[in-house]
Amino acid sequence: MTNVARSAQVLLIAASSMLFAAFTSAMVVRRGIGGDWAAPPLPAWVLPTILFAPLASWLLHQRRVKPAMAAGAALVAAQIALLAHFRMAVIGEAFCAVLIAVHALHAAAGVLALGRFGASAAIFWHFVGLLWIYVLFLFGVWA
Amino acid sequence: MTVFSTCHKVIGKQYIALSLFSVFIGIFLSLVMRYHLVHPDTKVKLFQLLWPDGAPGGQMTPELYLSLMTMHGTIMVFFVLTTTPQSGFGNYFLPLQIGAPDMAFPVLNMLSFWTTALSLLTLLAAFFVEGGAPLSGWTAYPPLSGLGKITGPGQGLGQDLWILSIALFCVASLMAAINFIVTIIELRAPGMGYFDMPLTCWGWFVTALISLFAFAVLLPGGVLLLLDRLAGTSFFIPGGLIVNDQVQTRSGGSPLLFQHLFWFFGHPEVYIAILPGMGLISTVLSVFSGKRVFGYKAMAIAMLAIGGLGFVVWGHHMFISGMSPYSSIAFSVLTLAVGVPSAVKTFNWLATLWGGRLRFTAAMHYALGFVSLFITGGITGLVLGQPGLDVYFHDTYFVVAHFHLIMGVAAVFAIFAGLHYWFPIMYGRFLNEQLGKLHFFLTFAGVYALFVPLHFAGFVGNPRRYPDFKEYEFLKSVMPLHIGVTHAAYFLAAVQLLFLFNYLWSKRRGALAPANPWGAATREWRND
Ligand code: HEM
Ligand SMILES: [Cu+2]
Repeated sequence: MTNVARSAQVLLIAASSMLFAAFTSAMVVRRGIGGDWAAPPLPAWVLPTILFAPLASWLLHQRRVKPAMAAGAALVAAQIALLAHFRMAVIGEAFCAVLIAVHALHAAAGVLALGRFGASAAIFWHFVGLLWIYVLFLFGVWA
Repeated sequence: MTVFSTCHKVIGKQYIALSLFSVFIGIFLSLVMRYHLVHPDTKVKLFQLLWPDGAPGGQMTPELYLSLMTMHGTIMVFFVLTTTPQSGFGNYFLPLQIGAPDMAFPVLNMLSFWTTALSLLTLLAAFFVEGGAPLSGWTAYPPLSGLGKITGPGQGLGQDLWILSIALFCVASLMAAINFIVTIIELRAPGMGYFDMPLTCWGWFVTALISLFAFAVLLPGGVLLLLDRLAGTSFFIPGGLIVNDQVQTRSGGSPLLFQHLFWFFGHPEVYIAILPGMGLISTVLSVFSGKRVFGYKAMAIAMLAIGGLGFVVWGHHMFISGMSPYSSIAFSVLTLAVGVPSAVKTFNWLATLWGGRLRFTAAMHYALGFVSLFITGGITGLVLGQPGLDVYFHDTYFVVAHFHLIMGVAAVFAIFAGLHYWFPIMYGRFLNEQLGKLHFFLTFAGVYALFVPLHFAGFVGNPRRYPDFKEYEFLKSVMPLHIGVTHAAYFLAAVQLLFLFNYLWSKRRGALAPANPWGAATREWRND
């Protein structure tokens, strides 16, 4: 991996982290002052998707780019299916839908990046995996 | 020169052209507003022609006034002040100054520009859709911006387009920021350390760092606002609202949450506008004093400090929002602390001039004008940074005067300085010096005549964003002042035609420039 590719990914991760931090702090504030918060219901089948992160990173570590892309695509498909569960008029579910959709965009971008740049896009790919654990934690535990 | 070029020089010029186009629209809108403020009851054919619904029979509605104000502010802040100093000059000269062949990602660079152009078109489209342009200002506070058509013409599709435009602008700016930072980190010429870079590069560097974090927060704000409008969510819409006699069903949202997200971006944004100018002014002052910049390292560190502090002062835009007085004190102290690196820069500029052999070129005039405006506008910042005073001044013309002097005009003076200074590289010719100096003196007089009196309107408590002052007894006394200000605005706008003429004429007919006409030491003069 070239230095340029590494720096670009680190910066991209910085920007994405900021993006998620902004959404998260909005959620913390909104939950705190709204008085209408209810935990968003997550279907049980979401839980196993937590394995996506270790799986995706492991696959890439083995230089198996195509299977890693397939794992990413499967996650995006699951996320799209998940979106149908939420009602936008209920605030906790709306936040959940937004963060999942934004994560899906990142995962899709990660898949495309793997297709285009192969294993050079690994750093971003690991980040996408970690981010998914974060989102699941946010809604599965904290919210 | 192809349209979808990936060459950094072409892209730089494209950004500058986009700004130049935008700035004249922005100026036109401001003239219409200034005219209306002093002739609120006059019917104008042209208004009716341009905005049949907004000015029926030529009589401007209050809503039309607010939509002009929104578009003026948005165009100027995003497509002029954020675009030329960073993306225009930066793209053209950063690679040249650090000895890089091009930006790190030329295709991404091209995409950034075209996304910006699309963003501008999306914004301008708001003028032409049903209801016209939005009314909620460049700050787009909900609930006004979050409820749709019911809150006024322009609050339907016009406001949707506005948000979409800003979201596109965020994406373009994030791509550009990554490109700038990677270029600086990885593509500096062998042996060039960070503290060997010209201060212009420091300006672009810090600005890109700020953009990376600031636009990543505005984007979520925009997304959530759009969902409030289109998907029925209540992120920012509080309960119990009655709009135009209709009870709104949404509840639980917080308009203040949007203000926090907006100003977490908004304050750093003002530095995005000014920091590239600070870098450029340092270079111009040093070249035309025949001396090195005084305190180079302190200048670079001051920029980093300004950029860093810029992220922890946003609350000073919200002193009257009902925040705890303890938060106010914290934001106030941090805000005033920005004065320290700002003063470091100002004194170093003066010290750079001290004992130098000054050459009063047109670029030097603008650079000195920049320093003057930065001081005049900065001092009122220190006034506004104190909650006790800001509670009174907030949302008055005092704030309008402050930010126009420091953000609007100072940054524009940096743009003029940069164009005069670098024109020989960009076009192989000089901008006409005599005409440039004439334009400088007239503009300098014009901006002070326009904006200094507005401080006094602020003292009287004259609110901003009001379309018609004569409705208020206590504002009768300031009408003569407003008449003067409007005349200054006409004068200032007319004078800008001198510059436009100089620019277009000199591109083809200006005096041919030798290789390094100013005797500068930075690389861009060697490469070309
Ligand atoms: C020491 C330096 C500065 C201080 C202490 C300062 C302080 C402030 C404060 C407290 C306000 C809020 C006033 C209110 O809304 O009631 C304000 C508004 C503003 N400032 Fe500054 N400022 C400083 C420098 C700058 C610079 C360098 C820029 C731009 C280049 C700038 C641009 C603005 C803008 C655009 C607004 C108004 C935004 C709006 O409400 O639409 N300021 N400033
Ligand atoms: Cu501010």
